[in-house]
Amino acid sequence: MSNTIYSATGCTRCKIAKRCMSELGIAYEEQDMKAEGKEAFQKFYAANRKAIYRGADGVEFPIFSDGIVIRQGIGPVLAHLNYQEKLNGFFSVGSLHKEWVDGIHISGGNPEYAEEFLNVLRYLKTNNMKLQMDTDGRNPAILEKILLEKLADVVIMNIKGPGALYGQIVGEAVDAADIEKSMALVITAPAYRFRTSIVPVFREDGSISYLQPEEVAATAKWLDQVTGNKKLPYFIALAKPAELQDERLKLAEAMTADMLFRYRTAARNHQVLVDIEKA
Amino acid sequence: MTYPSVYPTGVTVYNPEKCWSGYTIYQAREKGALLIDMNGAEVQLWKGLHGFPNKMLPGGYVLGHSGERNNAFGMQDQTDLIQVDFDGNIVWKFNQLEYIEDPGEEPQWMARQHHDYQRAGNPVGYYVPGMDPQVDKGNTLILCHKNVKNPKISDKVLIDDVIIETTWNGDIVWEWTCSDHFDEYGFDEAAKNIMSRDPNMRPTGGDWMHINSMSVLGPNKWYDAGDERFHPDNIIWDGRETNIIAIIDKKTGKIAWKVGPYYDSSPELKALGWIIGQHHAHMIPRGLPGEGNILVFDNGGWAGYGAPNPGSPTGAKNALRDYSRVLEFDPTTLKIVWQYTPNEAGYLHPVDSNRFYSPFISGAQRLPNGNTLITEGSGGRVIEVTAKHELVWEYISPYWGEKLNLNMVYRAYRLPYEWVPQLPTPTEVPVKRVNVKTFRMPGAAPAGHLRETTVAGVRGYQGDTALCVAAGEEASE
Repeated sequence: MSNTIYSATGCTRCKIAKRCMSELGIAYEEQDMKAEGKEAFQKFYAANRKAIYRGADGVEFPIFSDGIVIRQGIGPVLAHLNYQEKLNGFFSVGSLHKEWVDGIHISGGNPEYAEEFLNVLRYLKTNNMKLQMDTDGRNPAILEKILLEKLADVVIMNIKGPGALYGQIVGEAVDAADIEKSMALVITAPAYRFRTSIVPVFREDGSISYLQPEEVAATAKWLDQVTGNKKLPYFIALAKPAELQDERLKLAEAMTADMLFRYRTAARNHQVLVDIEKA
Repeated sequence: MTYPSVYPTGVTVYNPEKCWSGYTIYQAREKGALLIDMNGAEVQLWKGLHGFPNKMLPGGYVLGHSGERNNAFGMQDQTDLIQVDFDGNIVWKFNQLEYIEDPGEEPQWMARQHHDYQRAGNPVGYYVPGMDPQVDKGNTLILCHKNVKNPKISDKVLIDDVIIETTWNGDIVWEWTCSDHFDEYGFDEAAKNIMSRDPNMRPTGGDWMHINSMSVLGPNKWYDAGDERFHPDNIIWDGRETNIIAIIDKKTGKIAWKVGPYYDSSPELKALGWIIGQHHAHMIPRGLPGEGNILVFDNGGWAGYGAPNPGSPTGAKNALRDYSRVLEFDPTTLKIVWQYTPNEAGYLHPVDSNRFYSPFISGAQRLPNGNTLITEGSGGRVIEVTAKHELVWEYISPYWGEKLNLNMVYRAYRLPYEWVPQLPTPTEVPVKRVNVKTFRMPGAAPAGHLRETTVAGVRGYQGDTALCVAAGEEASE
C-alpha cells in the first residue's frame, strides 16, 4: 500500500512529517497542493472530504494517507507514523499556525502509552515547535512529566464542572485527587489558563439541564481551594450540544451568549478574573 | 471663548415666565453633586460625591460615584456607580465589573464607569412626563471601560468602551464591546492608517472611540411605523474621537443606524454638516417636544481620523471647527429640525462664533415646554433657551477646581421640584439681563464720554461686514 503525504509549499510541519518518515524508513510520495500536486489533492479531498477537517483558515497540512488510514495535522501524523493506533485520543487537528501546535490532549489517550506520547512531543520540540496542550485533569502523571521536561509552552485546563458532576461529564469515573493534582500542576506551566464549558448534564431526577451558575461558582471555588489563588486566568464558554457524545444531551436547547454573564458574575466570587471566552 | 478676566458667576439671567423652572443638578468642580434652584441658591450639596455625571431620581436620590481610579493607571474610570439618598446614605452600589490591582493601590473591584448610565424606567436619565426612573429596583445600563488588544485597530493597548446592563442585585446580564464591531463603523483606509499608529493615545492606552453618552431610545414613532432600527430597547451612543453617532441593536449588538464618521458622502449628510467631537447624542423621548428626533451637542473642536490636512499634519483629529452647535435632527431624513448655533445665539458668524464654543464635555436636555437646557461645559455655562432661541436662564458655575483650574460643568440636568420632596418649593425671583454697555465695576468710570468734539468732513460709519475675513451673509454665500 503506498503512502502519500499531502503538503503545502513552505509548510514547516510538512517538512517535519517528511523528515520523520525518512528517519523511520517509510517510503512515501509527496503531493504539494500548491504546486504539481494540486490536482491530486483535489481528487483526494473530493473522495475523502468527510475525513478531512476544513477550519476557518482552510485545510491544515500535512495530511497522511496509506490508502486506508488518513491522518491530518502534524500531531496525528507523527503519532500514527510512530505508533499507529496507540496514541489515539492524544492528538487531533489543531487550529494554531506557524510554530504553534495545538490539538494535544493530555487526558485524551491511554496513559499506558505515556512514554510514546511524550516521545512525539519531544520530537516536536526538537523541531522547534511550540506546544499548546489541554487537559481535563485526568492523566496528571503525564502532565507532571511534560512540565518536568518543559515540553509544554501553554497548558489549558478544561475544568469540566464541580467534583460531583465531573465523572458524568467526562463519561467515566474520575478521582478528584487527579483533577486537583492537575490544577496544582497547571499553574506551574510557562503559560496557562483554565476554562469551563457550560454543558448540559443529567440530574438525579432524570432531567437534563445545563450547569448552573452556582455550580460554576463551586468549580471556581474548588480551583481557589486547590491552588490558593483567586486570580487565575479562567474563562467560561458556551458548549455546543451537537458536539456532545450522548445523543440525549445533543437535544438540549443551545444557550445564548448572554446567558453566560450570570455564570461569570457567580464565578467571580471565587476567581476574580473570570471572563467569557470569545467565540 | 472671549472671556473677560472679571465676570459674574451664579445665575445671570432668569425669566420665570418663559422658563421650565425646577432644580438643576451638576457636578461642581472638586466640590460634589450640587443642586441649585432657578436663582442659583445652592440648596443641597452632596459633598465629595463624584458625578460623571450626577443624575437625580424621584424622592431626592442622586446617582454618582464614590471615587475615581488613580489617573496614573486609568482614564476617567469611576470606581463605582452609587445611588445616594437625600441624607447621603448609599442605597445602591455597583462596582463588580473588573478586579483591579494598580501598583501602590488597594486591590478592589471597579465599575470603570465613565460618561453615562441609565436606570430602567427612563430612557435618557432626565425628566420625561410619565417615565420616572426606578428608585428601588430595576436594571441599570452603565458605560464602562475595558482594556483590550485588537490588531484590526492598532497593536497598542486600547481603552475600549463597553456597555453593561446590571440588575438591581449586581448581576451583569448583557454586555456590548465597542471594538467587536470595528468593521461596521465604515472607516476608510486613511482613517485606519492613522488610527493604527495613534488610536488617540493617552498615558494608559488608546482611547480610540471615546464614547461619551449612552441612552435608550424608548418608545418612538419610527418604530411604531415599522422601522426596526429604532426598536425601543436599542441603545444610542456617540464617539467623540470618531464623530460617530450610532444606534446598536440590543438583541444582536450590531450597528442598526449611524451618522459619521464622514459627513460628505451624501447631500443629506452635507446638509447636516460635520458633527465633530460631539456629546450627549440621544433620542428625545416620547412625551417631550421633538420626540423621536436626535438631540446632540456638536462641540466642534478637533476630532476624527483621516487624511492629513494643514490643521492635522498626521490625520489625527483632522476635523476642526472653532464653535459649537446644538442640533435636533430627524434620524430618518437627517434634516435639521431645530438648532442653536452662534447664529441663533446672536453672534456674527464666523468672526464671533467662538463665543458659543465648548470643545469638550457639554450636553443638551429637552424640557417639557419645548425649551432646551444647554450645558456649554468648558466655560461652566448652563443656559436655557426657548424654541425661538431666546435666552431665558443663564448660570455660570462659580467652582473652579484647585487641582484643575477650570469651572467646567460636564453635564447639567433640570428636574422638577417634586423630585426633591425634602425641600420646600423655592421662591422664583426674576433676574433681568444687565446691560453690559453700562455695567461697571466699583471704581471704574461710568459709561459715556466726558467731552465730544465735532470733526469737520468725516463721513458716517457703514454697517456692513467688510472685515478682514468674510462674515455674516457674505460668509454664508
